[in-house]
Amino acid sequence: MRKFFQDIKKYFKYMIYSTKSNLKTEVANSYLNWLWWILDPLCFMLVYTFIVQVVFKTNEENLPVFVLIGLTAWNFFNITVNSSVKLIANNKSIVTKVYIPKYILLLIKMFTNLFKMFISWGLILIMMLFFKVPYTFYMIQFLPVLLVLFVLSFGMACILMHFGVFVEDLSNVMNIVLKLTFYLSGIFYAISTRVPSPYNRILLNLNPIAFIIDSFRKTFLNAHIVNYRMLGIWLIVGIILSIIGIKTIQKYENSYAKVTK
Amino acid sequence: MSKEAITVKDLHISYKTLKGFSIKKSLLKMKMSKAEVFEAVRGVSFSVEKGKILGIIGKNGSGKSTMLRSIAGIFSPDSGTIDLHGNSVSLLSIGVGFQNKLTGYENIFLSGMLLGFSEKEIKERVNEIIEFSELGKFIYKPVSSYSSGMYSKLAFSITAILETDIMLIDEVFSVGDVKFKQKSYNKMKELISDENRTVVIVSHSLGTLKELCNEVLWLHDGKVKQIGDPEEVINAYEEFMKKD
Repeated sequence: MRKFFQDIKKYFKYMIYSTKSNLKTEVANSYLNWLWWILDPLCFMLVYTFIVQVVFKTNEENLPVFVLIGLTAWNFFNITVNSSVKLIANNKSIVTKVYIPKYILLLIKMFTNLFKMFISWGLILIMMLFFKVPYTFYMIQFLPVLLVLFVLSFGMACILMHFGVFVEDLSNVMNIVLKLTFYLSGIFYAISTRVPSPYNRILLNLNPIAFIIDSFRKTFLNAHIVNYRMLGIWLIVGIILSIIGIKTIQKYENSYAKVTK
Repeated sequence: MSKEAITVKDLHISYKTLKGFSIKKSLLKMKMSKAEVFEAVRGVSFSVEKGKILGIIGKNGSGKSTMLRSIAGIFSPDSGTIDLHGNSVSLLSIGVGFQNKLTGYENIFLSGMLLGFSEKEIKERVNEIIEFSELGKFIYKPVSSYSSGMYSKLAFSITAILETDIMLIDEVFSVGDVKFKQKSYNKMKELISDENRTVVIVSHSLGTLKELCNEVLWLHDGKVKQIGDPEEVINAYEEFMKKD
C-alpha cells in the first residue's frame, strides 16, 4: 500500500498533465466539442423525461433535474468501469515501452471523467434555479457521497482492469451487466416508490449505484439527510475493493506487457 | 572503474497465456483454455561494467528485445535476477505516450514526464529539444499533421535528452533525412560514450556495433552463444548467418 501512495506522489504531475491533455484532445477535434460535454447530458435528460412523462405517463417531482442527477452519477460510474476493461489494451503503446504503475492510467481516465462530471453538476445547479428548487445546507452532503462513488468506482475498475487484460471478451459481459445495472439503479424512476416493497429496500441496500443516486437526490432535491450508516458501509466496501485491486495490480502488472503483445 | 553496473544471472523469461482467455470459448468447450508457454529467454547470465558499452546481436526472435525490456523493468523475469546496483535505467524508445492531436510542444512535456522527468527539468531542456528537432514553427502544430520523418525527429530529440546512468537502446539509430541521420548518430555517440554511462545496444547494424561497443553478446534462441570481443563475435555471427 505504501508503494501506491508513493506512486501517486511520483506521478501526480503527470496525471494532471495527462488529464489536461486528454481533455484538450477531445476539444481539439472541433471547436464545438466542449459543447458536447453539456449537450450530451442535456439531450439524454430530454430523452428519458420524454419516455417517462409521455410514454409511461408517470411523473416524479422536478423530473428533468431528477433524471439529470441520476444520469450524471451513472455516467461517471459507467464510463469508468466500462473503459477500465480495455484500458491496458488501449494504452498498449505506453505499457509496452515504459514502466508506469497501471492504476495511474486508470486514475487519469477517472480524473478526465470527473472533470466532465463537474460540468454536469454545474448544469444541475443551473437547472435547480430554473425549476425553483431551493439551495440548502444539505448540499454539503454532496462531497461525502461523491467520495464514496469515486472510491467504489476505482476499486471495481482496478479489479476489472486486471481481468480485462487476460479475459478477451470481458467487455461484452460488462456491457450486459452494466445495462442491467442501469435499469436497476432508478435513473429515471424513484426506486422507493415505484418498486414494490420489500424489493425496493433490498435494491437500495444492495445496489450501491442506486443508493448513491438516491443519496444525491436527497442532497439536492429533497433537502434530506442521507443514510450515513449505509454510506459508511459502502465506503468501507469501496476501500476493501480498492486495496484488493491495487494489490492484484501490483502483483501482476509486470506480466501485462507480455499479454498485450 | 571496474565496478559492475548491470549483473544478470540465469535469466528466464517466458510468455504465458499469450492467447488470452475468452469466456465464450471456454463456455463452448466447457474447459479452461490451456496456457501456452513460450520461453523467449532461457538462462542468460552476463554483467556489464560501469561506463562500458555492450552490444547485443542475434537473429529476429532470439529474445533480444525481451531481455532489454526486462532490464528496463517493464516486465519481471520468471526466474533469475537482474541487479542494477542502484543505477537509474531507461529504455530508449520513440514517441512514448504521444497524443496525436496535441502540439509537438505539449507532447514534449507529456512524453518527458512519462519517462520520469519533472516539469522543471523538461522546461530547462525544452529549447534544446526544439532546436535539435529542427521542427521550427511546426512544434506548435498538432503531431498528427507531421510527416513521418518529422514525427521521428521529434521523438528522437526527446529521448536524446534522457540522462540516466544506464541506457538501453533498441535500434533507434537513424531517423529522418540524411543530415538528421548523421546528426542523431553523432548525438547518440556522444551520449553513449559518456564515461559514467553504461549502455546496452540491440542492433542489426554490425558496423555500428563494431565501432561503438566494448563487448558484444550474441543471443541465439534465448541463450548466449558467444560473448566477448566485438570483432571476434561479430565475425563469427556473420559466418553463422551466411550458412543459414
